[in-house]
Amino acid sequence: MPRHLATIADSIDRLIAAVGRAVMWLALAVVLLQFAVVGLRYAFGLGSIWLSESVLYAHAALFMLAAAWTLQANGHVRVDVFYADASPRAKALVDLLGALLLLLPFMAVIAWFALPYVARSWAILERSREASGLPLVYLLKTLIPLFALLMALAGIAQAIRAALVLRS
Amino acid sequence: MTITPELLAALMVVAVCVVLFAGYPVALTLGGVSLAFALIGHFTGAMNIALLGALPQRIFGVMTNEVLLAIPLFIFMGVMLERSRVAEELLESMGRLFGALPGGLGIAVLIVGVLLAAAKGVVGATTVTMGLIVLPTMLRHGYDPRLAAGTVAATATLAQIFPPATVLVLLGDQMSNAYQAAQLAQGNFAPRSVTVSDLFAGAIVPAFALVALYLAYIVAMAVLRPKSSPALSADPAAPRGLALARQLTAALIAPVLLILAVLGSILGGIATATEAASVGAVGAILLALIKLGRKEFAAVLAPVVARTTQVASMIFVILIGATLFSLVFRGLGGDDMVHRALDDLPGGAAGAVIVVMLAMFLLGFVMDAFEIIFVVVPIVAPALLKLPGVDPVWLAIMMALNLQTSYMHPPLGPTLFFLRGVAPPEITTRHIYVGIIPFVLIQLLALLVLWFAPGLATALPHRLYGG
Repeated sequence: MPRHLATIADSIDRLIAAVGRAVMWLALAVVLLQFAVVGLRYAFGLGSIWLSESVLYAHAALFMLAAAWTLQANGHVRVDVFYADASPRAKALVDLLGALLLLLPFMAVIAWFALPYVARSWAILERSREASGLPLVYLLKTLIPLFALLMALAGIAQAIRAALVLRS
Repeated sequence: MTITPELLAALMVVAVCVVLFAGYPVALTLGGVSLAFALIGHFTGAMNIALLGALPQRIFGVMTNEVLLAIPLFIFMGVMLERSRVAEELLESMGRLFGALPGGLGIAVLIVGVLLAAAKGVVGATTVTMGLIVLPTMLRHGYDPRLAAGTVAATATLAQIFPPATVLVLLGDQMSNAYQAAQLAQGNFAPRSVTVSDLFAGAIVPAFALVALYLAYIVAMAVLRPKSSPALSADPAAPRGLALARQLTAALIAPVLLILAVLGSILGGIATATEAASVGAVGAILLALIKLGRKEFAAVLAPVVARTTQVASMIFVILIGATLFSLVFRGLGGDDMVHRALDDLPGGAAGAVIVVMLAMFLLGFVMDAFEIIFVVVPIVAPALLKLPGVDPVWLAIMMALNLQTSYMHPPLGPTLFFLRGVAPPEITTRHIYVGIIPFVLIQLLALLVLWFAPGLATALPHRLYGG
């Protein structure tokens, strides 16, 4: 059983890392696209709502989809006054309880409220409020349940690894 | 005792603080604990859990917020500069320039710290860079370990207050919402606004005043206790004269150009913070390209992008956790409770601001500056801004100074931990704690001065942008 669990955790981690390593390039896209927006505005007096909105889309996709990868890389800040010097078992216990009692319920509630919200958006294929904006608001909103899903998966992997440390 | 909604709201704050100490990531602790209290509230009839239905709309608001777009851009710029080793070169040449004076190395560290803070705006990275490079150098030249550790830690926190500090961007966003809400509540339906640019301009004078005070302390130590900060012995192999001047110019060009491009365009009213940040980020790419060459640049690009992504998503997930916290806190009537309490305080506006400042200072023991901004500012700022004589720019700069102080005060200031992590073994925790105390006192002095002279913060933005 532990071996199966470890395999599951490994697969989840690979998936999340793959997503993270792919979307991280959106950071560069945000820089270059925003620079293009500024350049067009100041050099040619042009404003493109379409372009401005794509910067926002890239930025939103960046942090929503990379959040789970950041969790996996231990990049979310902790108050580590005690945690930093705790034994591996104590750390595992914190991570196990945290994943089960804090992370998973939090993501469940986001998904619970986000699904109908996103479904409404898909039903009308919601577009930007600006006439010349991107017609893809329903995709942008879909990032919310995706965020919850990826974070929950990362939490499950974290819980499995912590449980394996506690058993050994 | 019956469980009133307000009691639950207060208990939730306590519970968050306690659970945070277990060490699970802050963003998820905020969200998880708030959810637990929402459930308790629902089953005791204290709040309706359907209020959480606003959560997706709030998250969507975070996703499409154009002001917050400045955050990844400034982070990208800072990380890119860090990887192109601007800091190392600056420190080396500055050290040579000032090294022959007593206390000269300390002064060099301060100047480099200011340039880095203004070019980077992220405190953790600055501390680590400075701790790794500067501290061993200072110790090798016979500096008192307490003075060395204190100088490095305090200087690193300047990244919290010097524009374009991430903290100022986040404060600007929250403060502008609060200011609108406060004016609407007072029946002003054409509210004036406050922008990130206002805060950048407002922070400049106080930030330089802080640097002057730090400088005075370093010089005073060199005069009064010469042994604590000796002059560097001359290195015969080191360049001097023209060669040194050339080296210094080369090292200074990169950060100074970037600061001018970014801050100049914001303060000149030409660009918004987000626009200027993108120019700064592209500038950092060009400088790194010139400095590292195409091959080495290609090698650092992926790590820079990865680091930017993780820091940005760390900040935004805290914002999402804090969103749930605010919803539940409001649902339980905590907002009204805080607003009533602030209105009824003896001493009026002054009393209310002092209490909030004290609370933020104390929360600094438990929470990061980001969490405090996301959790506390939306609750207290609308109430404070309704009080007579409370200017939003002044309030924001007071908060920023206060948070910067909480970043360095023992025992839990995060900067002290970052420094502890990278300091050489001969620096003890005690050295760091004792060494930082004079700087904490300077901070308190600065807060006091700004309290009595709000013009220090408000004059420049009013002059630049009117209003």
